[in-house]
Amino acid sequence: MLDQKTLAYINMYAILGTLENLCELDPEARALMTNPKPIALAFDVKGGPKATITFAGGRVRVRPGIHKCDIKIPVGSCEKFNAVINGTATPVPVKGFRYISFLLKDFDALTKLLERYLRASEEDLADPVFFERSTTLMLYVIAVSLSQIGDYDEIGRFSAGYIPDGEVAFSIKNGPAATIHAKDHVLSTEKRYPENPRAIMEFESLELARALFDGKVNALACIGNGSIAMSGMINMIDNLNRILDRVALYLA
Amino acid sequence: MEPYKYEKSREWFDRALKVVPSGVYGHLGPAEGNFIPVDKWPLLGSRAQGTYCWDVDGNRFIDYMCAFGPNILGYNDPDVDGAAMEQMKICNCTTTPSYKMVELAELMVDTVTSADWAFFAKNGGDTTTAAVMCARAHTHRKKIVFVGGFYHGVAPWTQKVDYPGVLPEDVANNLYIPWNDTAAFENIIAENEGEIAAFISTPYMHGNYLDNELPAPGYWQKIRELCTKHGIVLIIDDVRCGFRLSLEGSDAFYGFEADLICFCKAIANGWNVSALCGKEFMKAAMCSLSYTGSYWLSAVPFAAGIANITKMKALKLPELLREKGIKVCEGLKAAAANNGFDLVVSGEPSLFYLRTANDGSLFLHQEWVAEMMQRGVFVTSHHNHFINYALSDEDIALTLEIADECFGIVAKNNPKYFG
Repeated sequence: MLDQKTLAYINMYAILGTLENLCELDPEARALMTNPKPIALAFDVKGGPKATITFAGGRVRVRPGIHKCDIKIPVGSCEKFNAVINGTATPVPVKGFRYISFLLKDFDALTKLLERYLRASEEDLADPVFFERSTTLMLYVIAVSLSQIGDYDEIGRFSAGYIPDGEVAFSIKNGPAATIHAKDHVLSTEKRYPENPRAIMEFESLELARALFDGKVNALACIGNGSIAMSGMINMIDNLNRILDRVALYLA
Repeated sequence: MEPYKYEKSREWFDRALKVVPSGVYGHLGPAEGNFIPVDKWPLLGSRAQGTYCWDVDGNRFIDYMCAFGPNILGYNDPDVDGAAMEQMKICNCTTTPSYKMVELAELMVDTVTSADWAFFAKNGGDTTTAAVMCARAHTHRKKIVFVGGFYHGVAPWTQKVDYPGVLPEDVANNLYIPWNDTAAFENIIAENEGEIAAFISTPYMHGNYLDNELPAPGYWQKIRELCTKHGIVLIIDDVRCGFRLSLEGSDAFYGFEADLICFCKAIANGWNVSALCGKEFMKAAMCSLSYTGSYWLSAVPFAAGIANITKMKALKLPELLREKGIKVCEGLKAAAANNGFDLVVSGEPSLFYLRTANDGSLFLHQEWVAEMMQRGVFVTSHHNHFINYALSDEDIALTLEIADECFGIVAKNNPKYFG
């Protein structure tokens, strides 16, 4: 069963948070931001995540908390925020009406481009550049979702309760990587390879990672054929894998 | 020594992947078995004898996993297998069960201190499930207390809420306390007054990925006292330790008596039979259960079990296994120290657990295990090991020689820790 609060955190930090990487990877995304001056957009979700997204110089930055902002959008509940993200509800800002065109045009175009990468068609994936970007963004979405589920979902918290302190490398060989931090059974994600991992889970290629993300291959079978390598504190990976099982549920 | 290669293993495993989920599933497979990295490990076997097993490439291993416990006298023990072969000529799976069932039950009752009766099945999980059902039938209560880090099989009630295929409802009546913590048990009894059917635990904490922990002085006696006082059935899962610590049961080894005790792995030296034994006062509840299986009363494993237990008694086997285990553990610690490794050995010597403490993770230990595998010593990085009777002093000496070589290789490859 989906927990709306957990989904709201995933939508805020894993989905909107990946706008950061979209703009790093795709020049078209950077070109979509036409604002001449930086614009800060804050989402204030009652009973859920609060974050400020800054759009400046073709870059996006997502920070937890409500900071100085140009546009502020309060949302009455996690359910409503999730509806905004899936396009079935319209956000209403209480501040920054003069930036409404940014919301309706630039922000909307950016999120639509992100959706194209995250819900990629077979036709788009046939393009090697698109394939690499899409798979990289998926890795980041999944890595950040892991920590949100480990922190907020009831069963995810149970799994996180068995993860000892340390950093886990979650990576694609010669490709993108993320660090899952565990401290006192609270998880957080950074989009870089860890300096001192206690455990490593590495996919042998973008193609393998893609097949796994799309549910076309099974992780246990991949460990057997060597296309997924794991080492170090396997109890960290074992319990992350249980959370990974729930990522598919939330991102479906 | 030239490291082993596993070309045929890979070929067979690739064939397996096409027709068997995960290729080899469960604890014997590369995922749950922690084959790290997978290309250093044999994946399919061809034969076994005594303390050795051979893979499909013809590589020989001194096997410290013993099929994860069943091999206690040595693979293909002539006395046990002889009894099984003789029984096979007479009958095995029949409409009227063979009298061999009665003979094995009588032998179990004569051997195991807390056994007034024996109920047979096939796997350890059959008996832990039977024990929990029996406890619930006897007490008319629903909750079960587990010790953190437990493993009692693969039935849904024994798994955790985050395991694929397990429902929250499957584990809704499971309560958890830390190992060696009698105060936590007292608290959980108070919080669930009159609702706890059973306390289930292994005789000591031999969970995976962590140093194994023996019971603190007085621990089991206090648990026994609390169970008796509050009408809670005390279940000992002796599936893994059974007959390696004491032929009388691991509860007897630690100075207490269980109400129900589960055996499997070492009953018949690899022939498939498990047993739930219990006190007289639990027999009526056991009689009431609807619980059986097509092969549970087959005679061949019963004959093997009778021969195995008889031979273990004659040999006073647990003492021998302990002596062999101490030789292995002391030798490994010395070989490790000789190369600058801090090897932590825990658990009972006949089921020793190993961990390299130098790096704060398991990377170095996994490297060492992989080198050992490639030189013919089957050890593991995440689970306790098992000693068998066929392991000779020459095998131990060879093990220690290879261990020393492998520690040296890993040290050389990791100047960060051993420079």
